[in-house]
Amino acid sequence: MKRRSCLWLSLFFCFTAYGSTRAETTLEKVDKSGTLIIGTRTGSPPFAYVNKNNEWVGFSIDLVEKAIVPALNKKLNKQIKIEKKETAPPTRIPLLTSNAVDLVAETMTDTQSRRDSVDFSLTFFITGAQFLVKKGAPIKGIQTIAGKRVAAQQGSTNAKIIRERVPNAKLIEFPDQPAAFQALAQGQVQAYTNDGIQLAGLRAKAPKPDEWAVVGEFFSYEPYGMAMRKNDSDFRQLVNVGLMDAIASGLYFEIYDKWFGAKGEVPYPLSPDTKRFLQMQVVPK
Amino acid sequence: MDYQFNWSVLWSGQTGAWLFQGLITTLHLSALAWLLALSLGILSGALRTMPILPLRWMASAYVEFFRNVPLLVWMFFWYFGLPPLFPQGLQDWLFEHGAEFWAGVFALGVYHGARFSEVIRSGIQSIPKTQFEAALSTGLTVLQAYRLIIVPIALRLIVPPATNETLNLLKNSSVALTIGVAELTFQTRQIETYTAKAFEALAAGTIIYLGLCLGIARLMARVERRVAIPGLIAQGGTSAL
Repeated sequence: MKRRSCLWLSLFFCFTAYGSTRAETTLEKVDKSGTLIIGTRTGSPPFAYVNKNNEWVGFSIDLVEKAIVPALNKKLNKQIKIEKKETAPPTRIPLLTSNAVDLVAETMTDTQSRRDSVDFSLTFFITGAQFLVKKGAPIKGIQTIAGKRVAAQQGSTNAKIIRERVPNAKLIEFPDQPAAFQALAQGQVQAYTNDGIQLAGLRAKAPKPDEWAVVGEFFSYEPYGMAMRKNDSDFRQLVNVGLMDAIASGLYFEIYDKWFGAKGEVPYPLSPDTKRFLQMQVVPK
Repeated sequence: MDYQFNWSVLWSGQTGAWLFQGLITTLHLSALAWLLALSLGILSGALRTMPILPLRWMASAYVEFFRNVPLLVWMFFWYFGLPPLFPQGLQDWLFEHGAEFWAGVFALGVYHGARFSEVIRSGIQSIPKTQFEAALSTGLTVLQAYRLIIVPIALRLIVPPATNETLNLLKNSSVALTIGVAELTFQTRQIETYTAKAFEALAAGTIIYLGLCLGIARLMARVERRVAIPGLIAQGGTSAL
């Protein structure tokens, strides 16, 4: 009995340990260490991925480097370095809340339930879920996936929607994009669902892009935001102002063009509606 | 900056059902893999001690090849590497009938079979050689001596290290989530997706694994006491619990 209570006590301490050690805000932490640690992806082109030259780059990373770090430098009056760590849907919230990363800048959809655990910046990209299939496949959208084998990414909002709306689809969830794509290429699954822009990115990076097609209407709304620890409004304000300034000054659209323009990694023109939505998020100075 | 704990996510909505499903899948996967691992282990462990050289080589090759490649690689091998070698019709049939689960069973079973093999070999080699010679001198063939004398004694000697391997196998079953098997760890991640409550979900998973492992350890300690051979092994079964 004694042994058992020891066990419970040690477990209890495991979980309460980080409740008490956290006193400093993100800005204080960054000021002290001189480094902003961002959590990002290695396999989500063009938002965050490792390119052919083995550089860890992408649209989300560029936004942090060009819009947020300058704002940090100004605020803290010193040169802040960026350190990148890999995050994935199942790990990004724990890594953030345990202080392992300070800002999640990848392809994270802002949702109401996630807002219970973390705070989000303003929306920096809008997409929706679609399907990647072999060209000419019978799957044309969410209406045609009943009984089909569909891959999704573990912990993504798309998997959740498929499970709710088409419960008889055979959903197989993989921890990362490369494994899901491999399963699609080999026929383990007949379609892979993810946010449309990510599928477009995957297709563009595939050895033979013409063999693949992104199909279906958007069956979800996926506004991407950057995630931060909850109740740290000074840091959140800084991130938001950085993004707003970038949108207002046109820097955001330059970066957008670099990745999604006609000559970008994944051509994906900005619709006038989306552009207006982004601009309307900018509040007056 | 504070994380709001909300333990009620673990029993509200479908969460409980998911954890239960995950638990069942983990047990199903582990039990099948364990049977496979034990059979392969006994077979190759026995072969490695036989006085016939080619058989020893064969069994050694199996053990060294399978235990020295990471389990994750084996998962990918059985799921992604093997099916393309089959004809198209069989591939489709497999993919329709839970290929990921069976790939998981084989990956886990064959990998742990190689590890079990070493446990069983050490058990066999700890039996005095005279035991084997005595068996032969009563007129048993080599095969009979192994089947009737050597292997049964070895199995009774190796309960503690076999327990260890069993627990490892159970915990390693979580690697199957990389090929999309919806086992316990997978379900805890799913809860995280739906509720964004990662710590609660992970804590629930941890406690279930811990409970399972403690249960198995306890059961095996009882088995150990029952099957201990007086004189061949020191006072059997010293369990902490």
